[in-house]
Amino acid sequence: MNTYLKRKIKLKIISLISLCVFILLWYLATAILELVPSYSLPSPVKILNTFIEKLTIKSPEGATLPQHIWASAKVAAYGFLLGAVFGLPLGILMGWNTKVDKIIRPVFDFLKPIPPIALIPVMIVFFGIGTKSKAVVVFFSTIIPCIVNAYSGIKQTSQIHLWVSQTFGASRLQQLFTVALPSSLPMIFAGLRVAVGSSWMALVAAELLGATRGIGYMISTARNLLRSDIIIVGLLTLGVIGIFITLIFDLLEKLIVRGGK
Amino acid sequence: MNMKKRITEGIKNLCLSLVGFAVILLLWAFIVQYTDAGLLIPSPLGVAQRLIYVITHPIGKSYTLPMHLVISLRRVMTGYCLSIVAGVLLGVSMGRLEMIQAIFRPIFEIIRPIPGVAWIPMAIVWFGIGETAKVFIIFMGGFVNIVVNTFAGAQRVDEDLMNCARMLGANERQVFFRIVIPFCVPYIFSGLQVGLSTCWMAVLAAEMVAAKEGVGWIITAGQDIADMTQIFVGIIAIAVTGLALAAILRLAEQILCRWRVRGK
Repeated sequence: MNTYLKRKIKLKIISLISLCVFILLWYLATAILELVPSYSLPSPVKILNTFIEKLTIKSPEGATLPQHIWASAKVAAYGFLLGAVFGLPLGILMGWNTKVDKIIRPVFDFLKPIPPIALIPVMIVFFGIGTKSKAVVVFFSTIIPCIVNAYSGIKQTSQIHLWVSQTFGASRLQQLFTVALPSSLPMIFAGLRVAVGSSWMALVAAELLGATRGIGYMISTARNLLRSDIIIVGLLTLGVIGIFITLIFDLLEKLIVRGGK
Repeated sequence: MNMKKRITEGIKNLCLSLVGFAVILLLWAFIVQYTDAGLLIPSPLGVAQRLIYVITHPIGKSYTLPMHLVISLRRVMTGYCLSIVAGVLLGVSMGRLEMIQAIFRPIFEIIRPIPGVAWIPMAIVWFGIGETAKVFIIFMGGFVNIVVNTFAGAQRVDEDLMNCARMLGANERQVFFRIVIPFCVPYIFSGLQVGLSTCWMAVLAAEMVAAKEGVGWIITAGQDIADMTQIFVGIIAIAVTGLALAAILRLAEQILCRWRVRGK
């Protein structure tokens, strides 16, 4: 046990050293030796400075970093919530009721292979470059994994469990809410996770193509101005938000999904 | 009897989906014909005609639709193959060797949550708007997914199986190639599947932001000249190709992971 702990600590220290070496090498290559021009890869210190500056300063693209984050998060939340609210019940219904499945299936199979990113120009034509078009794109990229996973979660319900509940006199509705739904929750959560990832990606793409605010807009404007420090700040912000969302989902899953593992 | 029943069932389902498909097309045609949406959306017939037309006639001044597809596919395949090689190598070595995990994990964890598409502006600054930038974006899209899955697989290799092989006199190299790699293959394949669809999305996004050819360009070019029919043709081509790519990969998985299919 003691040696195990020691090894763990040793590995942690190595991780820390490796991270420090990485940043140090980066610093050395950019700020001191100037191997690469600063417009292409700025030094970590510069990036930190830019990050602190962007928290309060609006130049060069007209909004501070928190404002961009807020704009992106708002659109993502609209689209994601709508997608989940429509997608999950639809998927559950399709998995539970064969008639509904047979009716909706063709429409769904028709829409499923279309990457949401390809819909961006169509949505811009319909809704302009404002919040609405991006929310619809996010909606599409959310609803599809939600339907797929809710559907297969319900379909994978153990037949024996259903039979048992039937033997004890459960109605069809009771079966759904007490057996099928709880057993499909892990699948549904997995779907929500996939949905978060793909909708976040679609949102960034939408903002790259046409927006007036948002993190994607910030990095694409920074690209036009050759301000790669702002681009990297944007990338890291996206990463941190991604980690944050994953944490929230871990927590929710722990709270809601009982049993299982 | 069972076989016959299954076949009739299959035919019945096929008919149902065909009917559903026809209903969608009719609904689409109806909406275009009789509502204001017709000003924005092309009719299904128009899209079908255009789809056939562009197979032999160039879109814009340059290439025909199949050529655009080939160009995009070539980009995807270059980036995707690179990401497979790098991703599987890093994933397996991180999963098996604690030292490598300790060294690379923190750096990888920083890159992991950044969506592949977000690398586009950075790639353009670094590599210009040429092929390298696109391959890089596609690589970043596939790489992360492949590493995550391969890593998960390599970490879950059954210790009992490995010890068993060692007890029977296998050396470490044999253990690696006979136990670790086959154990990881299904995980690698799920990474490849996710990676491929991400790469296909990434090439679209990359071509939409900056390109002169490719399927993503078809869509943005359609947007620029306000030609909705061209956009729809692009979307259909993209969807069908995406489906075909996924199907090919699933077939490869069935062949390479036969033991798993048999287990089901």
